[in-house]
Amino acid sequence: MVKKIEHDRIQEIIAALMEKGILYAPVEDEEGVNFHLVDDPARVTLDFYNTVQGPKCAFFPQTEELIRYRMTHEGADAAEVEPDESPQVLFGVRPCDVRSLAIMDELFCGGGIVDPYWKNRRDNTTIIAYAFDTVDTVDFYGSFGIGAADDTGADILMVKVDGDLLLDARTEKGTALLAALDGLDEAAAEDEKRFAAAVEGAGALETRRIDTDCVARDLPGIFDSEFWQTEAAPCLNCGVCTFVCPTCHCFDITDETLFSKGRRVKTWDSCMFTDFTLHASGHNPRTKKHQRLRQRVNHKFSYYVTNCDVISCVGCGRCTRFCPVNIDIAGIVERARKRASSQQINNQ
Amino acid sequence: MKGIEKRLREEAKKLLETGSVSAVLAFRDGYDGDHPVPFAARDVSDADAIVFNEYCTHNLARYVTEYEPGTKIAIAAKGADSRALVVLIQEEKVKRDDLVILGIPCSGMKDARRGTVIDEATTGNTVNPVIHDIMLADQLPEPDTSPYSVLTDLESRGHDARWKFWRKELSRCIRCYACRNACPLCYCDPCFVDQTEPRWADKSPSLESNLMFHLTRFYHLAGRCVDCGDCSRACPMNIPLYLFHKKVAKECEEMFGQTAGMDPEETPVMVDFKVEDSDEILL
Repeated sequence: MVKKIEHDRIQEIIAALMEKGILYAPVEDEEGVNFHLVDDPARVTLDFYNTVQGPKCAFFPQTEELIRYRMTHEGADAAEVEPDESPQVLFGVRPCDVRSLAIMDELFCGGGIVDPYWKNRRDNTTIIAYAFDTVDTVDFYGSFGIGAADDTGADILMVKVDGDLLLDARTEKGTALLAALDGLDEAAAEDEKRFAAAVEGAGALETRRIDTDCVARDLPGIFDSEFWQTEAAPCLNCGVCTFVCPTCHCFDITDETLFSKGRRVKTWDSCMFTDFTLHASGHNPRTKKHQRLRQRVNHKFSYYVTNCDVISCVGCGRCTRFCPVNIDIAGIVERARKRASSQQINNQ
Repeated sequence: MKGIEKRLREEAKKLLETGSVSAVLAFRDGYDGDHPVPFAARDVSDADAIVFNEYCTHNLARYVTEYEPGTKIAIAAKGADSRALVVLIQEEKVKRDDLVILGIPCSGMKDARRGTVIDEATTGNTVNPVIHDIMLADQLPEPDTSPYSVLTDLESRGHDARWKFWRKELSRCIRCYACRNACPLCYCDPCFVDQTEPRWADKSPSLESNLMFHLTRFYHLAGRCVDCGDCSRACPMNIPLYLFHKKVAKECEEMFGQTAGMDPEETPVMVDFKVEDSDEILL
């Protein structure tokens, strides 16, 4: 049962969603459109191709307090900060970004130790996906079997058609949320058709493609190749790619103390930083930037596949769009495949 | 600019053929022609991949400090790039003799991501290289606009308003360090912000630690920043860093009568002392 609301009345639906829980949605800000905790419905927008950063902040914020402490004469007075269990809504997420959450689930709750900070929020969040209606030249999410109107992992799929937002539940959670939002109109038969047509139309959109078949098998063979020096040469070793990426998840844990009070925090870290692998001994196994770029590509396209059976990339294109020197990870993977196959031919 | 590209390729080929340089720092095409990538040509065959267009905005002096001292390098240097090279020479990070500077006079460069033309509002607008071995095009007329007029608005606001402005802008910082890493003069190893003993700035991007990072970085750049604007362009959060470093540059020029990166024989102001220097700060 499709529901609808005129796009111009979006603020009404946002205000209603804010009453259901913590709301993360795309907000127009100085950096462009980006996911933010919404405090003002007027700032939410669906006028974007994709957001600056992925939506991982809704489950894995850049800073997460773990422990708060106070030093006293008797020692440390410390208390754990309980993982958040508030209901959340994540609104306006592109299909590739919805897929990123399942990829991160493998890591944060896939086996062995479960990360309660991640899992609680995932369990308590309703996801409203937002179908693409165009493609750009940088995305390559089609390479991972993700469609422009893919609803995998979404509780609700939303399309923007003419002046309307049409929403259709995909899970019980989604049905429950839609039912609880008074401002939505029941869609007419015509709207159901428009919804179906929009989804079909989006299905015809083609992003650029890279061949991801067996890439995890190819990469180890060129580990020692000078290929990586060439590819890493322009890299600045900043953390932009990792911080805009919806599937990057490395973090650091540090204590921030001022005089006698402090907190232990988990913060995003980046394998691209020079001191990422700096050991307490002073040894650093990845001092050279080609080692770090090689690591990032291998982690996403090879090691994660070995450990979690899925490539840790959704082809959203953000790393490419925001890289200060225009490095294109899709291009690197393609050239790596070519190098691996020519190396195999040479070895025969 | 096609003329510059042609000449750049010719010069690169000559230099690589004769083996007089180990690398020519230039650009190649990226995933499309509007997104070039900094590129070190090493073989003669690499020279054909060199491009130069209005999107080749990156300050290539940034890569000079990655090479072993003594390595002979040719570098495609726009105006601000050449000034950064001057500062590196002044600071003895590279020897003048180890560089073959291929000067590129240019203006009207473009920021592909923001869809804007780059001008004196966000850069020093140094259209002509201040140092070169070979000029790849004719010098352009010197601009008659000041690179500091963009500061007028902020300067006219009171102290509280400016402090509020910077607190707002810097709270957006996600500490990706794109600004620092794009800067040709941020070559400290280790950088103060990466140190843990003591930890000068917390890892989390709270306003306090963001202020610690940025204010310290701008002051480390006082008298050295050449207003290339790469830091501002690199920032994924559109923080107008150029407003801060322009102000620091302007103050330095006014107090010490010297502009950063103009003359290899000069010493950067913060490591030099002249009897006539202003002692306002002491009073």
